[in-house]
Amino acid sequence: MMATDFWIALPLLLLAVGALVTLVVGAISRNDSSGYIIAIISALGAACCTLQAPPVGMVSTLGLSSTSTVRLFTSLFCLMAAAVLVLSKEYNKHGGNRGEEYPATILFTAFGMAALASATSLLTLFLGLEAMTFGFYILVASDLKREASVETGLKYLLIGALSSAFLAFGIALIYSVSGSLAITQAMQTTLAGSSVNPVAVAGWCFLLFGMAFKLSLVPAHLWTPDVYDGTPAPVTAFLSGGSKGASLLFLLILLPQAADAGMLRLPFWWFALLSMLIGNLSALRENRIRRLLAYSSIAHMGYVALALVAGSFSGYQAAAYYAVAYGVISLAAFGAIAVMERNGCGATLDDYRGRGARNPFASGVLTLALFALAGIPPTAGFTGKFLIFAATLKSGEMTLAIIGMLTVAVSIYYYLRVISALYFNTSEQTHQDQCTIGEVVVLSIASASVVLLGLFPARLLALLTFP
Amino acid sequence: MIVPLQHVLILASLLFCLGLVCVLIWRSNIIMLLIGIEIMLNAAMLVFVGGANHWGMADGQIFALMIMAMTSTEVSLALAMVVYLYRRRKSVDVDELTNQRPLGHTEASTDTAVSQQP
Repeated sequence: MMATDFWIALPLLLLAVGALVTLVVGAISRNDSSGYIIAIISALGAACCTLQAPPVGMVSTLGLSSTSTVRLFTSLFCLMAAAVLVLSKEYNKHGGNRGEEYPATILFTAFGMAALASATSLLTLFLGLEAMTFGFYILVASDLKREASVETGLKYLLIGALSSAFLAFGIALIYSVSGSLAITQAMQTTLAGSSVNPVAVAGWCFLLFGMAFKLSLVPAHLWTPDVYDGTPAPVTAFLSGGSKGASLLFLLILLPQAADAGMLRLPFWWFALLSMLIGNLSALRENRIRRLLAYSSIAHMGYVALALVAGSFSGYQAAAYYAVAYGVISLAAFGAIAVMERNGCGATLDDYRGRGARNPFASGVLTLALFALAGIPPTAGFTGKFLIFAATLKSGEMTLAIIGMLTVAVSIYYYLRVISALYFNTSEQTHQDQCTIGEVVVLSIASASVVLLGLFPARLLALLTFP
Repeated sequence: MIVPLQHVLILASLLFCLGLVCVLIWRSNIIMLLIGIEIMLNAAMLVFVGGANHWGMADGQIFALMIMAMTSTEVSLALAMVVYLYRRRKSVDVDELTNQRPLGHTEASTDTAVSQQP
């Protein structure tokens, strides 16, 4: 094992060892916060190591890749885990959810994401995705005080297990055609363009259907509102930003390796159309804020599927940019919701009336995030949508791009409904909500990145390269 | 190899369909749902082992072993949650998971549900 191998594997090692140390320390110490501190330090350390890793092009004997895209996503996942841990610390203390298992599971989940990001073989890719999903099964059900939480966890687990069965069967069929688990070779054989093998087509159908579950694309989207509504808010932030980002990365690792991905244009076309329409239209009628954001996330995954329809380099780049932007935006949105819920805010839009005066900071962050989701400049949401629609128009999908832009226009209505509830209704209470320093720092960084990513996308786009 | 790859694929697709039908039809019992998912994953393992034999490589068999490990984790997690819910509810019926709103229902239905409770 050479020194470069060690450097490439170091973030993964840090996350895994950090999780184990958190468990051991939690068993010894009576104090909950020591577990959180160790977990935050190891997540931040892993992010720093990823940024410090040797330059692109190092071929590792471990079967881990380390391109600039991989490093960008790994550090994003680690930073997101750290941010979620900071938000959870106060939220869980308030909700009475004690124990060191929670921070350790967040680290295990981040480990799965990082393993997925650096995979070069279908086996590592699949196991990384599953490791991440297992973490989420536990996190979704972690709030044992509420019976509904375990119920949500079981629902998510059954759907997740079904989707991983589809995924495993798809990968198995692709393997039986190509005879290799190496991603490059498997993609070149099964998506060759000419002389399509029917077994390979079936394999891709199963794989895409499994991924549609994970990305909550219509028609496999029904679990999303329930799960978003029933989980602790910091976990929802991680689920929405991290798990969607990692599942997108799964497709972005596979698809650019293909010789000709034209065969997948049709399924993505339908996924994009249905998700954009059904996601945005269902959100219009929704009165609970988390379910509203869940439907909005379905619509956003529809936009990303639109970028994948294009199937070109600029399409993949736009999809990757959107994955990063959506991760940061949902961290800001659900982080702000976590702060408000900790201060006793309910789940429906009515509970948010007049919150703008009671908690100006969290309301401001939530408003910025909603503006970004609606695609209003100068936020990352606007730039991402611009890149996606530009790539789609360039590839000649005029109809779908126009329908997409119309649904974006429709979506502005329900985002503004939340904002108007926050600011244009006065409440009698003059009591001010409290924010801890950690929450302020995390939410400020998230909001700053939402604006900075939108204003200066070129630096990020330069890092997103695909073979 | 005595059995051609095609036959393995046909058998595996049949198994997968049986598992899927079990999941879709036998919705009333979580244990049956889990068994259906297991059967679907077994079909995937069968394809991996058949493919590995066809190509003369071991990596497919390793993948099958990994899926075995993965399913056992999955089932242990699911059963832990089932036991927890059973202690509270005395039932393993999926249709009774209605503490949250059922899938796809709109706002109006909860309002009535809430108003009926007192």
